[in-house]
Amino acid sequence: MNRLNIALVVGLVAVGIYLSTLSSESVGSMKASFMSLLSPFLRTGTAMQQNIGSFGQRLKTLDELDVENTRLKIENRVLRTENSLMRETQAENQRLRLALDFRARSSHKLVAARIISRDSSTWWSTIRINRGFEDGVEADQPVVTDGGLVGKTTTVSKNEAIVVLVTDESCRIGAKIEGTREQGIVTGLRIQENTSEGMLQMNFLSKNAEITSGMDVLTAGVAHGSFPPGILIGKVREFHRRALDGQAFVEPAMDLSIIEDVFVLVGKK
Amino acid sequence: MKTLIDLIALFAGVFLAFVVQHALPPMDDLQGARVVLVPLVFCYAAIVLPFPAMLAAAFYTGFFSDLFYLHIVGGAVEIPMGISIIYYVILGCLASRFRSGPETAKMWMFSVLSGAGTCTFLLLQFLMITWHRGGWEWAGAAAWRILAPGLMAALIAPLFHLVVSHIDNLIPDFSRMRRASRR
Repeated sequence: MNRLNIALVVGLVAVGIYLSTLSSESVGSMKASFMSLLSPFLRTGTAMQQNIGSFGQRLKTLDELDVENTRLKIENRVLRTENSLMRETQAENQRLRLALDFRARSSHKLVAARIISRDSSTWWSTIRINRGFEDGVEADQPVVTDGGLVGKTTTVSKNEAIVVLVTDESCRIGAKIEGTREQGIVTGLRIQENTSEGMLQMNFLSKNAEITSGMDVLTAGVAHGSFPPGILIGKVREFHRRALDGQAFVEPAMDLSIIEDVFVLVGKK
Repeated sequence: MKTLIDLIALFAGVFLAFVVQHALPPMDDLQGARVVLVPLVFCYAAIVLPFPAMLAAAFYTGFFSDLFYLHIVGGAVEIPMGISIIYYVILGCLASRFRSGPETAKMWMFSVLSGAGTCTFLLLQFLMITWHRGGWEWAGAAAWRILAPGLMAALIAPLFHLVVSHIDNLIPDFSRMRRASRR
């Protein structure tokens, strides 16, 4: 290796070391720009994969489509009726709160989003959604479905956001077990043995807690946390007593590998 | 001129490798292991390209890898930027040693380097995450997710080498032609 080559290698290593010292804000904005640049290509790749995968499923007969359409129309009518009844209840609730001089409970604005691709890395559980800062999405906002908690947003670009799932170890959630006074931290497992199912662990529980399998685990809504209280995370599968504390293994509220649409809680109404 | 064409082809190849590996789902039968193609494409470039061009390729591939795998949660970066650049520089320095060897030996070394390079890259990611999060956790699934992509890369490599070197021979080498005409 001649001197010029050695100098080039040293120069590149120096650039690498310099880049490693950049702040998370700087690299976050670089990642967001990179996402915007790569997005059309990744979307095309994922769309092709989905089209190939769902080719057999899309071959439905007209009769099947007719039945499905009728079922969806009925469901739509039922939901509309329920919605109007709930609106009345909400208005009544508001009136009573005003009469009692209660502070209004915060309700969140939801932004519907579609999952455009699933995690492409070996070690992290993430998804990409088709909503970005143009739609009011910011980093560290909770992502939910009607079934429960999905995760929280991390890197947000113009029209896309990366969501770290609850099954990822880096997503930490302050949680409580319904029907008890137990609170702890829910995280995913570092190495998920079953990638499609996923499993969560809840640590720092009391050693003597009376926790049985099937109990609901909800977000605790701790101060300065990302998650509001009362969102279903999952159900307790097992509870272990350790030397100093208790640990519960929690099954996620829904199968995260099959969800297609989510909602981002973008702030208060 | 030929080196420039090779370098541009590598840039396009790495980009395509990212798109393809992103679209491919994990293999449930192999404990969720994924197909990783980028180290394979880079190893080919490192064996073919002259040293300074290999370094440019290492920078490009490493920078893209860093951005692609960047994971920021709660303001904390799990694997710092720049790590992949250093990794690809080291891998490229190793691979470029086999540049002048016979064609068959080159193909086998490319295969071995692609497999080992893919495994090492995934192991490096795992170790960085472990260092960042603290505590040592290991399971059979982790070994599968490190070794299976490497094995797949090693198996794909000979076919990749044959196809790409065949395409490479179709591109005219102007510098060689100029030397021949001077003689």
